[in-house]
Amino acid sequence: MRAALAQLPLRRRRGASPFLGRLLRDRLALAAALVLALITLAALLAPWLSPHDPFETKPIPFQPPVWAEGGTADYLLGTDGQGRDMLSRLLHGTRLTLLIAVLAVALGGGIGVLVGLFAAFYRRLDGVLMRLADVLLSFPAILLGLAFAAVIGPGMGAIIVALAVATVPDVARITRGAAVMIMGQDFMEAGRAVGLPDRTLLWRYLALNCMSSVFVFLTLRFGQVILIGAVLSFLGLGARPPAAELGMMASQGRDALLFAPHISTLPSLMIVLVVLCANVLGDALRDTLDPRLRNT
Amino acid sequence: MTVTSFKRWPWLAGALALGATMAAGPALAQNTITIVRELDSNNYDPHKSTARAASEVLFMLGDTLVSLDYDMATIKPGLAESWTVSEDGKTYTFKLRGDVSFCDGKRMTADDVVYSLKRWIDPETKSPVRWRAGPVEDIVAKDPQTVEYRLKAPFSEMLYQLTQSFAVVIDKANVEALGNDFGVKGFNGTGPFCWGDWKPRNDMTLKRHAAYKWGPPIYENRGPAGVQEIVWKIVPEEATRLAAVMTGQSQVTQYVPFSGYQVLRRNPQIRVVESKEAFWTNFIGFKLDKEGVSDPEVRRAMVMAVDQAAMSKNLFFGEVEPANSYISRDALDWNKEIEGKLPRTNVEEANRIIDAAGWARGPDGVRVKDGKRLSPLGYSFSAPQFRTIMEAVQGDVRKIGVDMRIQLFDATAGWGKLATQEFDLFALSFPYISAGDALNLYFRSGNIPSPNRMNFRDAGVDKLLDQGMTAVDPADRAKAYGEVLRQVHEQNVWIPLFHEPMKVAASNRLAPIKAHNIYGCGLYKGLDLKFVR
Repeated sequence: MRAALAQLPLRRRRGASPFLGRLLRDRLALAAALVLALITLAALLAPWLSPHDPFETKPIPFQPPVWAEGGTADYLLGTDGQGRDMLSRLLHGTRLTLLIAVLAVALGGGIGVLVGLFAAFYRRLDGVLMRLADVLLSFPAILLGLAFAAVIGPGMGAIIVALAVATVPDVARITRGAAVMIMGQDFMEAGRAVGLPDRTLLWRYLALNCMSSVFVFLTLRFGQVILIGAVLSFLGLGARPPAAELGMMASQGRDALLFAPHISTLPSLMIVLVVLCANVLGDALRDTLDPRLRNT
Repeated sequence: MTVTSFKRWPWLAGALALGATMAAGPALAQNTITIVRELDSNNYDPHKSTARAASEVLFMLGDTLVSLDYDMATIKPGLAESWTVSEDGKTYTFKLRGDVSFCDGKRMTADDVVYSLKRWIDPETKSPVRWRAGPVEDIVAKDPQTVEYRLKAPFSEMLYQLTQSFAVVIDKANVEALGNDFGVKGFNGTGPFCWGDWKPRNDMTLKRHAAYKWGPPIYENRGPAGVQEIVWKIVPEEATRLAAVMTGQSQVTQYVPFSGYQVLRRNPQIRVVESKEAFWTNFIGFKLDKEGVSDPEVRRAMVMAVDQAAMSKNLFFGEVEPANSYISRDALDWNKEIEGKLPRTNVEEANRIIDAAGWARGPDGVRVKDGKRLSPLGYSFSAPQFRTIMEAVQGDVRKIGVDMRIQLFDATAGWGKLATQEFDLFALSFPYISAGDALNLYFRSGNIPSPNRMNFRDAGVDKLLDQGMTAVDPADRAKAYGEVLRQVHEQNVWIPLFHEPMKVAASNRLAPIKAHNIYGCGLYKGLDLKFVR
């Protein structure tokens, strides 16, 4: 019986290749993936790609981008209100924004998966854990951000914790939903019958078989987290000056919208682009992994 | 300053946003003036708010015994048509006008003046500006037209303080009837305008006081006011306020973003009126007992690293006056002798000073001494002006290896945070009438932790401030305050940034107006506001 169980195919091994195949066929998803990869690469290499020090103030504030009247090739995307190079700040800002989103999704997603799995596997915990998730669900992410900023002070820490906490209940519910279905499968019963330890059943069979739906959700959530993170930074709860973060940069340019719109619009466009790509990719992933949508 | 070619749509957005908020009400009549401003006050009780937002309304709702001329130095009659000061400088006797009445029609007498001034100093009132009334021994009504203001010691600022909105005359019956709602649901004053309706954080409507005819002599029109109604409208967004002025939805305001003056001056429908006196100064203050900034050489280097001229030109569009003094040089009792000794921007010299003080650059370029990084934490408000200031100073001191950290707060939380000991430096701006006014407020050890947020403690300075405050001879007063100015500048307690001249943008549908600077309230009593077309 153990040998037979070992033969059970794991969804994990089948997930990647159909996705890649579909991605190559779906031009929109492919374009989104390429753009996102490019943005991520540029963000990762920001310290080397940036033409100027993103924090150095110079006596040339509000300089427009190269294509506008008065722009120069030295500062391709112009300068901000403190005379700092917009291109360098945009690269560093994207890096920080992506980092915040990745950390928040990883932290919130990780805790959410654990909560969902435990709720499904240990039924006596189900009621308590899901009610806790319900409580968390009733707090909007922005309110959580404000609360954490009040307790631990505004900054990156508060924003990551707030976004992670806001992610936990959704992920927990989705994981639990998927896990409860899998718990009813014959192979789980069989695993128990042959005396497999809880640890093996939980991680090797239950967790891995839930991963596809959780992964789809997290990809879609990634875009939302960037957006909410940007809103929190826009409200002054996120990164501290002189750090560059897209939401904060958009907020800083607000006062100069009248005569230097590039300071606000460039980081805003970057947010739109990243979120759009993440959403398109998430949709493509869902289409691939959801059997009901796979052949549509 | 270069302006990009695509600049139309933000106008539209601003105008639409404003239209949505302003067009919601009925169309305003020709004799209503709308003034847009950034902030509201939390109340309009003259003894319970220090906000400029409160003062600018209170100057219109009420009157003071004496008034202040546009030069910010000459005291003119107000509710008192004349006054005398005793030789020892301790007794002021005010002769009141006989024709003054409150908005409800009741005649104003010396008893009302006494009640108002005594409420100001009453410990039960808990007024944050009680000290401005001086060391009062007693205030008595000698007869219905005469008030005697007796001091325990001379107070050289006395008459200047009595021109402020904290000293407006209020109606005892009105205060008692309204209780805690005084200045919230109503206010019976003697000013050129009467309380209409207040919708907090939205608008404050004032109605003309028809019987008013006792305005300060600095106005051609002593009353009644030239318009029926004034609406103080709260519009927090800078661009929207500018759009309101450009589109004629607001006829007059001093709350135009610095970036907007260039545009307004080119607009033939609008005139920008400026006051030469810039008695509103922006500065960074050091907490003198905090590690790092407690080193006088660090402070000197930081002061020299900041480029006020570039800040004024580049960030504030040349609309402010770069400062290397803590108060305007036009202010009463400024010490001309220290002018040549004030530090000037010199980054190279600043680096040399901080090197010599033993602060060496670490691997990341930040200065370190005895294992401690030079990374002071700065607190200020999140309003655009303070954010700009903090980031500019952060950028400047970075050039000498100081890693300044910034934390900005909304106004509701900011004042509380600025009264703590959590930070190493802070940015603020403040209005003043004279050197004595500014120095007594910020540098008295008794005013620690707020407004003396620097924890500046110097018995010698306290003694000099006492001497200045109690001086009967103006020359003695100037000498004492001049010495304090020398000492605090020498110790680099602040980084002075810029003096903000008063600028008011007004529609040319209004008669020409003159900008005042009293407590930063450009329209003062609003008696010159009237439509001409």
